[in-house]
Amino acid sequence: MAGLELLSDQGYRLDGRKATELRKVQARMGVFAQADGSAYIEQGNTKALAVVYGPHEMRGSRSRTLHDRAVINCQYSMATFSTAERKRRPHGDKKSTEMSLHLKQTFEAAILTQLYPRSQIDIFVKILQADGGNYSVCVNAATLAVIDAGIPMRDYVCACTVGFVDETPLADLCYTEENGGVSSLALALLPRGGQIALLQMDARLHQDHLETMMEAAMIACKGVSKVLDEVVRQHLQEASALSRD
Amino acid sequence: MIKTERLLHLKSSRGRKVRVVREHYLRERVPCYSALCQADCDNDGKVLPGDLTHYVIPDVGIVLDFLEILEFREIQGIIFTQTACQAVQHNKGRRQYNRLRNLLKDPRHDCVLFVNEFQKYSYCPREKGESQEKWQTRCVYSAAVWFYNHLAGLKDIVMVTDDSEAVAQYSSLNSGVYVISMQEYLHSFWSDVNAAHELYSSIVQAVQERESEGSEREYQEHLPPEVLEAGIKCGRYMQGILSVNKHRAQQEALVTTQGFSNKSTDLSCDVLVLGVKNCNRAVHGDSVVVELLPHSEWRGRTTALTEAQGEERSMEDQNNQPMPTGRVVGILQRNWRDYVVTFPTRETQTQSRNSQKILTVPWDHRIPKIRISTQQADTLQDHRVVVRIDSWDSTSLYPNGHSVRVLGRAGELETEVQTILIENCISVPPFSEAQLREMPVVSPERPWNPDPEQVTTRRDLRQTHLVFSIDPKGCEDVDDTLSVSRLPKGGLELGVHIADVTHFVKEGSLTDQEARARATTYYLADRRYDMLPEVLSANLCSLLGGVDRYAMSVLWELDSASLEVRSVWFGRTLIRSSYQLHYELAQALLNGEDATVPELNQLNPEEQSQRLAELTQALETLTHVARHLRAQRDRGGALELEGVEVRAQLDSEKNITALVPRQPLEVHETVAECMIFANHWVARKIQESFPHQALLRHHPPPRQEFFSQLQESARARGFTIDTRSNKSLADSLEQAVDPQDPVVNRLLRMMATQAMSQAMYFSTGAVPADQYYHYGLALDRYTHFTSPIRRYADVIVHRLLMAALDLDRGLSSTLASNRELEETAQHINNRNRAAQHAQRLSTELFQCLFFRERDPESDPSCVSDAVIYAIRDNGLLVFVPQYGVKGPVYLRSREGEVLTFGADGHCEWSSGTVKKHSDHITTSSLSGSTTFRLFQHITVRISVQSNRCHADSLNLEVIQNAPHETSNPDLVPTQSKVQLIQEVHRQAEESLQKASVKPKLSREERQYCQSKQPNLYSLLEEIRELSLMDEEACAKKLCATTA
Repeated sequence: MAGLELLSDQGYRLDGRKATELRKVQARMGVFAQADGSAYIEQGNTKALAVVYGPHEMRGSRSRTLHDRAVINCQYSMATFSTAERKRRPHGDKKSTEMSLHLKQTFEAAILTQLYPRSQIDIFVKILQADGGNYSVCVNAATLAVIDAGIPMRDYVCACTVGFVDETPLADLCYTEENGGVSSLALALLPRGGQIALLQMDARLHQDHLETMMEAAMIACKGVSKVLDEVVRQHLQEASALSRD
Repeated sequence: MIKTERLLHLKSSRGRKVRVVREHYLRERVPCYSALCQADCDNDGKVLPGDLTHYVIPDVGIVLDFLEILEFREIQGIIFTQTACQAVQHNKGRRQYNRLRNLLKDPRHDCVLFVNEFQKYSYCPREKGESQEKWQTRCVYSAAVWFYNHLAGLKDIVMVTDDSEAVAQYSSLNSGVYVISMQEYLHSFWSDVNAAHELYSSIVQAVQERESEGSEREYQEHLPPEVLEAGIKCGRYMQGILSVNKHRAQQEALVTTQGFSNKSTDLSCDVLVLGVKNCNRAVHGDSVVVELLPHSEWRGRTTALTEAQGEERSMEDQNNQPMPTGRVVGILQRNWRDYVVTFPTRETQTQSRNSQKILTVPWDHRIPKIRISTQQADTLQDHRVVVRIDSWDSTSLYPNGHSVRVLGRAGELETEVQTILIENCISVPPFSEAQLREMPVVSPERPWNPDPEQVTTRRDLRQTHLVFSIDPKGCEDVDDTLSVSRLPKGGLELGVHIADVTHFVKEGSLTDQEARARATTYYLADRRYDMLPEVLSANLCSLLGGVDRYAMSVLWELDSASLEVRSVWFGRTLIRSSYQLHYELAQALLNGEDATVPELNQLNPEEQSQRLAELTQALETLTHVARHLRAQRDRGGALELEGVEVRAQLDSEKNITALVPRQPLEVHETVAECMIFANHWVARKIQESFPHQALLRHHPPPRQEFFSQLQESARARGFTIDTRSNKSLADSLEQAVDPQDPVVNRLLRMMATQAMSQAMYFSTGAVPADQYYHYGLALDRYTHFTSPIRRYADVIVHRLLMAALDLDRGLSSTLASNRELEETAQHINNRNRAAQHAQRLSTELFQCLFFRERDPESDPSCVSDAVIYAIRDNGLLVFVPQYGVKGPVYLRSREGEVLTFGADGHCEWSSGTVKKHSDHITTSSLSGSTTFRLFQHITVRISVQSNRCHADSLNLEVIQNAPHETSNPDLVPTQSKVQLIQEVHRQAEESLQKASVKPKLSREERQYCQSKQPNLYSLLEEIRELSLMDEEACAKKLCATTA
């Protein structure tokens, strides 16, 4: 009983967007002074905070040290108040471990790790409010935080989810859409080169449609990258203005 | 991107109160879909015309309750708001919502959807403490204001609401936006649409009634959908379509579980549902969920004949196999349509507590009585009325409904015909002006001529080919012509040229939409409803003799000796038919008889004989080719079947039916064979070009168990019928001939026909390739190509063929996807079934009208010969060859008396017993015993059993245990049906004339009524006249529709 009509005949989605339109993205960099880099992002009602420490020398078990590049350590968590019902979320549950792993893979592909051998970079991401597209919002937040920390990357990593309804791909799903029985796909892209850092899909989808979905996802990611780029430039201007004074 | 602020909504879900935050994006530009738009909205698709007096915006309550009124095509310029649409979706469910969506998509209806909640200036957030209804009304009002301002005040906006507070609050706020109630709106703007007013009052009544419902429980509550779904999945419940037994509507219903196969239950057969309580408010056609009862309560189906009012029959048929029996626990999908009911007469109205509630009896036996609340009960006595069911609560014994439209007095011809149409969901309004405007203008002064541009692109066959048509006498819509010629380099060229309807009917045009909705031309016994406007069907698309016409042609090059196909050519052509022959004339020419061809009259005798020889030569070649083709199909196992009741069902293209006796001429077969050949080759072509989206027609092999009656009956006469394949069936039917009695073979063929499944259209992507086979015609691929004027399937096939030819030339064109095509195919199948059913009902209607005028005791035409073709527990089923009537004959009356015959041959009723055997039935009483055998000829008397609420039926009664002496098979049946219909017509016209001599007032009234819809009345009259002349044409069409 799929009660909700996710895409109306007129081409509007539940929240009034059209199929290709993203949610409103707002972001700030450098929210915490103590960390090396930090960022806060709002993508629609999904809000996330990312903090980056490093690169610094290995802590904890030294056996994990890599001699040719840096180790990237990611940790994903959700605030207890992030969903409609308050729920204690212990560390290390299956979902967040998986998400941490995905983030790690994404950033290993983007950060120039070979510049920092035998060192470690920590990325902590926390979802403050969840309303769909958690993974992609985390990636976007972490990108800003990494840039804030001044760690060199190949390119921005921008991520976006795409769903498939009535033969049309919908960009940037919100929570209701994600739960409405849509097959969705998450894609992290290095927009300038068009390289895919991560592609994740665990729903059923006809093979013929995959191409169109990827295409839509890439376009959406490029849209996100434009916004992030603006945020970075603005932050830079403010920072330089401050330092000049 | 123009995203703006985001707003919050509160919502609770699943028991616990949960605060859900949702985003809401607003934008400045939302298309308004009005032709008057000043701001360049990108209005693609349907647009409201600018020449209306006003636009109307209905409030949420109006859309919920009075959507049916808004569906009237007369009411134009409706703007539905998104708020209202969402309310429909939430409150009324998917079915109603889909109805609204279809309405919005329908290009014939002037209404659009305005997405008011995403418009920056028309959206208003819900305030704290505001009730939902108030907020919705405010939203709709602000949408109305926005529209007024958006159109710069060029158009007045009317908001219709039933909330009197809103009327008071808003009506004086803005000058151009009027807020009025529904009643006032209908009254002041559409005072001439009477139907809308009537519908309005009946809905208001029903709504009031709903609010004052009693509370005693009559039925068990239905289970909630989650429980049903879980139950179906785990195999506890079964899902199926309820079909009620026509003869025992109160007692017996079957749930066909086919198509919903369930792995866990190994029951492949149907489930029996006994009694009204077990049926639990399910109506015929609903998709229901049943729970099986324990084995001890399983019952068998009754096989005894019951009389129409056999309510007391509760006797157990212990000898019957018990079958799974269950009860309905829930309903997945209601399948309610419009029903025709009859209001009771005053004396039978036994309404004690509330005189406004009337129990009406539906025309269809299978539908329960419907409770209607109306104040017009007195005026509607004995009238047939269209009603809709609104609800059926567990507290009420009968469903509640409201009346929609009055058809007329029961028993009148016009009423009965309309009843038949509505019961089969056939809607054939006259073609609208917008549709007719799409048609080319043709008048005697300005005859239609081919476009020079078309002449250059089409292959011109006007000079090179001798084209002629063979049709029934007086046929108007000639959609197929033939040509045959010897090629100079040896070999034959056979050509089939079909009217090029798709040239005139462009895909997606209004005419196309209408034709798609109708799907076929409807032939009733006395009239027809065309699929295409007359200017096309009888003129521009009709391949008349001596004029230039566009055609779609198939030309085969055949080897002159072996008649193998060497090559085939498809394409658009320009032809001029030289001769418009009719069957009898063509046959006469073939037989070498002296016949005059009207086209040759003006020529001098020498030239005349030369032309005649040329034509005869062509006909002979054609016959030769057709014989060869037929032989080829016969080798493959083509069937030749007989149909009477179900005659439109099968491929008896050449066969005459019992109702329309015609001399079977070989030339019929010749023409039919050429058409089958063309259809087959086109099917091959489009299937090869579009393996996943071609429209074909298949005829699935019948289920073997359906043949049991045929085999049993044949065994009684000592024949064996081999039903393993169509070839063996055809052969054994060929042999099962009783030299003394030709009717036996006919009956056997009829039974074989009944065992057949229906031929269906399908999209090739939806069916595995091994099921493409056409069982009846013994062809691996088949489609319909040759009658685009009267079948929509052929129009689609024409388009597919053109696309296939384009594809060969390297052009690609957009086609309907497999899913869309399959949907269309199902729609056409449905409509065809409805058309056949309506046709059968109208034939029965005329049979009854014929016999109603005759006194069964004295009139000789009411006594006729009949053949027994099946035996039941308490009676016989007989077939009357003279009238093509089938029916039951009772040997035991309800009082337990049985029928026996004395030695002198006359019958008497007395108490006794009936004993049924496999091939005979014996009645015995004190005065002797009588045996009836299968295929025995008896004499029956036919009388009409009138029925006020339902259709009349024929009653058969044995009067002699021997063949009817005076029955003269040569003479009597030759014209029976035509006669019969003319007879009834004469009577109808007489009564019409009588009616017109009534006082002046009534005639003025009628004129007044006419003036509103001048074309409906005249059109009906015209159709009636046409169809009288065109009777035989119809008959031929029937045969052709069958393939």
